[in-house]
Amino acid sequence: MASNKKYWKSVEELNENSSIVAKLEEKEFVSELATDEFLGDKESLEESSTSRRDFLKYVGFSTAAASLAACEGPVRKSIPYVVKPEEITPGIPNYYASTIADGYDFANVLVKTREGRPILIKPNKLANGTTNARVQASVLSLYDSLRLKGPKVNGNDVSWSDANAQIKSKLAELKAAGEKVVLLTGTLASPSTEKLIADFISANGNVEHVQYDALSESASLDAFEEVYGERALPNYDFSDAKTIVSIGADFLGDWQGGGFEKSYTAGRNVEAGKMSRHIQVESNMSLTGSNADKRIVVKPSEQIYALINLYNAVTGESLPSKATPKDGAILKAAKQLKNAGKHGVVLTGIQNKNAQLLALALNAYLESNVIDTAAVKYTRQGSDVAVDLLIAEMNAGKVGAVITFNTNPVYTLAQSEAFVQGLDKVKLSVAFASSEDETASASQYALPVPHYLEAWGDVKIQEGSYSLTQPTVNPLFDTKQFQDCLLAWSGSEESYYDYLKNFWSKEVLGGTAWNQALHDGIYTSEAKALKGKSIDALKAAKALKSSVKTGAFELTLYASTAIGNGQQANNPWLQELPDPLTRASWDNYLLISQADANEQGFSNPVRDNGAIDGQYANITVNGVVLENVPVLIQPGQAKGSLGLAVGYGKTKAMKSEMQVGVNAYTLAADFKNVQVATIENIGGAHKFACEQLQHTIAGRYEILKEVSFKDYSNTDLDPKESWNQVSKVSLKHEEVDVNAVDLWDDQDRSIGHHFNLSIDLSSCTGCGACVVACHAENNVPVVGKHEVRVGRDMHWLRIDRYYSSELDENNEERAINKNSSSDEVDTYYALEQPAENPQVSFQPVMCQHCNHAPCETVCPVAATSHGRQGQNQMAYNRCVGTRYCANNCPYRVRRFNWFKYNENSEFDFNMNDEYGKMVLNPDVTVRSRGVMEKCSFCIQSTQAVILNAKKEGRKVAPGEFNNAVACSSACTTGSLVFGDVNESDDEIIAKKEDKRAYRLLEAIGTDNNVLYQVKVRNTEEA
Amino acid sequence: MSSHYEAPIREPLVLGEKSYHDITVDIAKPIEGKANKNWYIAFTISLIAFLWGIGCITYTIGTGIGVWGLNKNIGWAWDITNFVWWVGIGHAGTLISAVLLLFRQRWRMAINRSAEAMTIFAVFQAGLFPLIHMGRPWNGYWVLPIPNQFGSLWVNFNSPLLWDVFAISTYLSVSLVFWWTGLLPDFAMLRDRAVKPFQKKIYALLSFGWSGRAKDWQRFEEVSLVLAGLATPLVLSVHTIVSMDFATSINPGWHSTIFPPYFVAGAIFSGFAMVQTLLGIMRKVTNLENYITRLHVEYMNMVIMLTGGIVAVAYASEFFIAWYTGSPYENFTYMSVGAATGAYGWAFWSLILFNILIPQLLWVRKFRRSFIASFLISIAINIGMWFERFDIIAIVLSKGHLPSTWTRFEPTFVDIGIFIGTIGFFGVLFLLYARTFPVIAQAEVKSILKVSGENYKKLRDGNHE
Repeated sequence: MASNKKYWKSVEELNENSSIVAKLEEKEFVSELATDEFLGDKESLEESSTSRRDFLKYVGFSTAAASLAACEGPVRKSIPYVVKPEEITPGIPNYYASTIADGYDFANVLVKTREGRPILIKPNKLANGTTNARVQASVLSLYDSLRLKGPKVNGNDVSWSDANAQIKSKLAELKAAGEKVVLLTGTLASPSTEKLIADFISANGNVEHVQYDALSESASLDAFEEVYGERALPNYDFSDAKTIVSIGADFLGDWQGGGFEKSYTAGRNVEAGKMSRHIQVESNMSLTGSNADKRIVVKPSEQIYALINLYNAVTGESLPSKATPKDGAILKAAKQLKNAGKHGVVLTGIQNKNAQLLALALNAYLESNVIDTAAVKYTRQGSDVAVDLLIAEMNAGKVGAVITFNTNPVYTLAQSEAFVQGLDKVKLSVAFASSEDETASASQYALPVPHYLEAWGDVKIQEGSYSLTQPTVNPLFDTKQFQDCLLAWSGSEESYYDYLKNFWSKEVLGGTAWNQALHDGIYTSEAKALKGKSIDALKAAKALKSSVKTGAFELTLYASTAIGNGQQANNPWLQELPDPLTRASWDNYLLISQADANEQGFSNPVRDNGAIDGQYANITVNGVVLENVPVLIQPGQAKGSLGLAVGYGKTKAMKSEMQVGVNAYTLAADFKNVQVATIENIGGAHKFACEQLQHTIAGRYEILKEVSFKDYSNTDLDPKESWNQVSKVSLKHEEVDVNAVDLWDDQDRSIGHHFNLSIDLSSCTGCGACVVACHAENNVPVVGKHEVRVGRDMHWLRIDRYYSSELDENNEERAINKNSSSDEVDTYYALEQPAENPQVSFQPVMCQHCNHAPCETVCPVAATSHGRQGQNQMAYNRCVGTRYCANNCPYRVRRFNWFKYNENSEFDFNMNDEYGKMVLNPDVTVRSRGVMEKCSFCIQSTQAVILNAKKEGRKVAPGEFNNAVACSSACTTGSLVFGDVNESDDEIIAKKEDKRAYRLLEAIGTDNNVLYQVKVRNTEEA
Repeated sequence: MSSHYEAPIREPLVLGEKSYHDITVDIAKPIEGKANKNWYIAFTISLIAFLWGIGCITYTIGTGIGVWGLNKNIGWAWDITNFVWWVGIGHAGTLISAVLLLFRQRWRMAINRSAEAMTIFAVFQAGLFPLIHMGRPWNGYWVLPIPNQFGSLWVNFNSPLLWDVFAISTYLSVSLVFWWTGLLPDFAMLRDRAVKPFQKKIYALLSFGWSGRAKDWQRFEEVSLVLAGLATPLVLSVHTIVSMDFATSINPGWHSTIFPPYFVAGAIFSGFAMVQTLLGIMRKVTNLENYITRLHVEYMNMVIMLTGGIVAVAYASEFFIAWYTGSPYENFTYMSVGAATGAYGWAFWSLILFNILIPQLLWVRKFRRSFIASFLISIAINIGMWFERFDIIAIVLSKGHLPSTWTRFEPTFVDIGIFIGTIGFFGVLFLLYARTFPVIAQAEVKSILKVSGENYKKLRDGNHE
């Protein structure tokens, strides 16, 4: 319908006779413009003060002003959602259950994502998940900028379709020629992938699957397979153990995949009146040994005899053996083991099938119920023999193709050269890798795989427990899963996701919904105990005895707590995590006993800036020389033994700052972690980055209180008068508890929330998971080796480690420590020196959130003040940086931003990296230069809990705060417990009232909100 | 105060055959004449050091405090050491001009001008450190209680650092006013003698229109007395408050009740030593040997002996108490066996040597009255007092409560550069002062000439014969 409306522009138009309308039709303006008046009169124009120069000036100025005003600030790339995904609400985190299985670490985890980015890993407690430092840090490895970003062939970029097509045709050629194709993988423990590989093998016929672990557990697997018929590792449940004898097994570390600390501390629950006795026989000072009640220090070769002697003493047999200097202690251990009966267990980390057989035999003799042959573990699957054979065949030209996945043999093999030569001889070499590592560079095809946080997968960590891995972020790079490629090469159109889902529906779930399993992250089923065959102990002992090799030095290669097998070596959080024992970061080093160091001329002088130095050694093993290894003296190291961590010295796909240490894998001939070595002192000065210089408590015993289990259990003893004494002061000439005297008018703290954190020194194993969790949650910057060296690490939470002499032995050192009367200078010296075989105590220290905080009173601008909920709060943007608060903090937990740590190329870590910055927690400010920072009790998380509860109209549930705070939620052993003391059903109340509870440096009167629980040791000898 | 009788056996304070005019000429000479080569050399060196210091400060502010040698457990070292050292040096001026004025000590007249100049210049240096030691010095004004729009933010009156702000600024302003008041008649004298119009104009401005009338003099005397009364408590308060930076904290070794008197004595000790050092040079360079005499040197040495003695007793009691508590936390305070035998033993023994042992030489009259010996001993005390502050700060912080936090400190070139820079800055100011200001309060010296002047004394002696 046509419109006949008329639109009018002014009122005048309505008047048809208006002259203005007619005029306007001709001209733009109604009245004449006075241009003539303006420009016509030449004279006045010339007289005008605005000259052409002025005009140009105005133009110039306006242009400059306009362009300046148009200058933009720095552009931040933030793109809003055009269509908001249903599950993502900006500002609200999502959690996904997933599983890490990188071939070394296996854990059920909960992934926290914000705006589609994973930013934090938590243990999936519903799935009994535990996380160590590396699992915690794995989220940063996702954002590693040196990851392989697209497929490559011989170093050149290639598209996935081309690469897959080429490989597929080559595989077809090889199949036609009948040449062998080997899939070399790390431990997968993935039922669906194994099925997929089996399908691939049966479809092709010429394919073989070899599994390889950088740190071999072949001996244990072989032994278990021989006895129980299943290639798996026995599981251990220490929660009911009475006596644990471990011969060189670092089971609180990464031994056989780790994860035992939870049941271990459950078996040492003193509140429940039980405490296992843990005896550790070892050469290196391991995390496990440092937690042991009794540590027997022997050389690796003597560990073998110790095992046979223990066997003899327990069973009464007389297998061939040899005396060791510590047989007395072994006999006592045997007696305790016998007394424990089925509550006793023997573990050994000796990499020898016969040693493992003997341990199994001993456990069978004890009828141990600690060892679990039902829920057997699949966390290590590698076979040394198969890998050896593969290398031999590769070099003999018998292998047509090698496809590696989840492993980096070129870096981790001692016979790496032979492997590379073999790789050159095969027709097709494909490496599935996350970065262009040593193996990927040596292979023809380097195919990028997604990080586990971007991938699908399933894991069978132990029998009867199936876990799922699900993507939590869109793949950052052009990656494809290994499994998808296998499917593609087999000509299948199916994606791995569909394959996995089908596999689970058919073979795993048995009726349970897939979505439920995916939500939980785990599906459990029954596991049946395996029946073992009898073991010929005599044969095993004979073979074992003949295998013993001794030498001037026996070197034990170990995996460090931070770096593990080295696959996350490019992760700055892990590099900066200090070793729990040496407290050195950014390095591996040769550990040596003080006695050997004196003989060989090694020392660790302290420099004037408070850093320690060390000399270099050349280590020779079987003719292989590892040069320039810095030497660190380790108290508790067996004389004649050496220790060296693997996982360092990587150079491929590593940022230059992270290329630290030496590659100890080169010494691991025959996959053995113990080698006979010679060392040569070549002098020099290595710069260590060590966070703690003073190793002993220097006579300040109330800092770290300890009690024997016997005294603890003795109800006749009043703890406040004996082992948990409170300092006394004089008030009106009477001795009173220091807490009774207060200069301050106290506030009523019974209203609202009031947070306390309890730290049980007994169950803290020193694993460092909390330290990394704190880094991740609170955007704690990484500062690099030099800054750590000069004492400027930024850890909000640190784990102090003290060496002490044994409680139960009246040895001389202890006597000197106690008696300070004689020669004072000597006493000072003695107090500062750690003993030869010290006991170890760990003490996590973070801001103590003092109710009477010394830091708060001294800040001139009131930048740090007290919160209503007990926190000592830090207002970063008010801080002017006088550092007085740090000086006045008796716990020294405050950290100063000496430099700008973000977006600064001098500190080229994750905060100076487009990808690395994605891990930052948007709820926590990135601190600027010149301000003080410290632990906040994760106030962003506790507030979120409170607000959520408020929105949902409910009270905060017990344990909710504990799970919100980074350190306590990461703590596997329950050493750290966080909670609200005004909430009557919170676990923290019991902790606060426990007779073991004490406050650090109570005598100062700071009235801390962090409590410590006295460390209990089971010193009961047989 | 000028014409009281003085016993003939007292040594004269002004030597030589001086008339009033001679004094005028002597004092005005360095200002009216040309600078000699030595002045230029000294000035160039000072200027270079000053510029180097500015460079180091710029580097620090541009890059971060990390360019210093501090670490997570030692948050202060050279910065606050230098601050306290300079504040301490700035102590002698007020003591000499105010306290000695109230006690009517005539010998102060030859030295008070320079001592006060030294005070003011030293306080400038001292004031620099609290500012630049901040992580974010551009926000330094937040320590001032100024009305602001940051919300309800206010300064924290509990903090000793805030007390410092008030103490130092009060001290600086009172000292400056006091100094200037004394300068007025002398500036007027220079104004009257000036031949160049520009010079005349400048000194006219500086002398605030001093006319020399009797009323001027009367007011001058009154103001001096009032200001002296005001300044006297400041002598005690400034270093008391500086000492509270440490004493109110909880670090073993800092948390000590004797700190206020001990710090005040130490400050006077170091201030007099610095006066001794500076005048030892100045009396030679500007030919003022007749005004700054052996007697002046001896009197100052006596003050040094007294305050040095107090300091020594303080050290001894600190050492004793650290041991006597039996507390393991006191084992490593800056005055303890732990410190004497530990990594900082060299600093501990430097302190003992320079601050306690060497000054004992002054018991010998010969040394006390020797210009050279006094000069050398004063240098030793300057060093010793620097070490005292370094020991208190660095040794105590290096051994905190928790042994896991024990560490050490090593200065970087920046730490050292800034310290040298402040010495250079001080030198620049003092050298400029020596060329433009009357370095001796000539009006006051003239007032004692007839009482204490050597030739007048001789005349009087003659009359008696």
